Amino acid sequence: MQLSKITAIAIIASSMVQAENYVSVEFLQYDESDSRVSVSAPSLSISHDIGTDYNIKADFVHDAVSGATPTWRSDTGSGASSRGDSSSDYSYGNQEFDEERNAGSILLTTRFDNRDELYTGIDYSRESDFDSKSVSVEYMHYTDSSHNQSVSVGASYAYNEILSYDYYDTGSGASQKETSSSINAEIGLSQVLDAKSSVKVAGFVISDDGYLNNPHASVIRNYKTSNRRQAGDKRPDTRLAYGADVKYIRLLTDDLSYQIGYRFYDDDWDISSHTINNDVYYKVTDNLTLGAGVRYYAQTEANFYNKEKDFFTNEEFASSDERLSDFDALTYKASVDYKFSDKVSFNLGGEFYTQSTGLDATLFTTGVKYRY
Amino acid sequence: MMRLILLSLSGLLLMGCSSKEVKPWEKENLAQDIMQYGGLHPEVKKFEAHVYFSKEASRGGSGVGGGGCGCN
Repeated sequence: MQLSKITAIAIIASSMVQAENYVSVEFLQYDESDSRVSVSAPSLSISHDIGTDYNIKADFVHDAVSGATPTWRSDTGSGASSRGDSSSDYSYGNQEFDEERNAGSILLTTRFDNRDELYTGIDYSRESDFDSKSVSVEYMHYTDSSHNQSVSVGASYAYNEILSYDYYDTGSGASQKETSSSINAEIGLSQVLDAKSSVKVAGFVISDDGYLNNPHASVIRNYKTSNRRQAGDKRPDTRLAYGADVKYIRLLTDDLSYQIGYRFYDDDWDISSHTINNDVYYKVTDNLTLGAGVRYYAQTEANFYNKEKDFFTNEEFASSDERLSDFDALTYKASVDYKFSDKVSFNLGGEFYTQSTGLDATLFTTGVKYRY
Repeated sequence: MMRLILLSLSGLLLMGCSSKEVKPWEKENLAQDIMQYGGLHPEVKKFEAHVYFSKEASRGGSGVGGGGCGCN
């Protein structure tokens, strides 16, 4: 009896992946300060094992986005009315918008006789002015019979279609379809260190190509001359990034786990960033688990970014999008997970995100998971 | 300099963590749901990643899957 229990545990634990069938419904509410962006997003996830060698996971999410995004606006009008008008002045303010996004993904996991795993995925995301389709493939190979070490290699390709509007060059407001693509390659190593800890290391390269401008953002050019004008955000049409990610997780006591992660990122727009993420989970009872975490993020600014209205003249690339600026950010996280039974659990989470740019946001999630 | 320091710390972390063989039947702790890198709810992590993707200028390091968005 005891032996069969140990064997069962060994079989379950050997892959360190909780293979289970479930349906999960989550709801996200995201709200930024100063009446900027609000997002309400219900989502549905289904994970289903097909025999012992396959698992299929499908995710669907609908985002209802409303609010305003900061950009330059003419004090005497917007768009064409301000084009080449040296008498108008500009201020940095919020531009209102509404948007809906539908996204879905399907991931097929194939397990081979040696328990190596192949992940094959497709993703689709659609907005009124942005479509994205991507395919991904990743192979994970165990390098030892005890499954303590694995290496993984993966790559994805995304193709995006973007509608841009000519508000500034001719002022016609006509839309034009632009495209961009992205290739993401990643190699990783996972190592069990002892019976209570493990580490994951990954290196990645991302190559973006095509229309990478923000079609909703603008800059002011030649502000101090008679040719002052509002112009569209203009970025290089390629971007090459690389980075590394390290995660470490340890069971501190029978009921308390701690994980820390660090990511380094660098690209040829001169943006580099450091991300440190800490999470703890505490099992109060068999049914109740509490979580808490802090994330720190810091980035340098792109070499074509400036927020001043009297900075840009005739530079090829120019952006005032503050997401390309030098800033740091902190996220404080807390969560509660309660199991009503072996099959049904409820989760509630809250996060506060604050950037040095002045952006503050709250993020609440709640959901129910049914295992079968 | 900051880059060097952080990379060095990462290296030290890895070197300091000596590994020993853990048999399959010794992995009960590692299989607990509080010991998963994606947390208890990977769907929530996906929400978080989407927020960071739309508000920050860097990405990567958490797998190759996932779709884009024209986030304002």
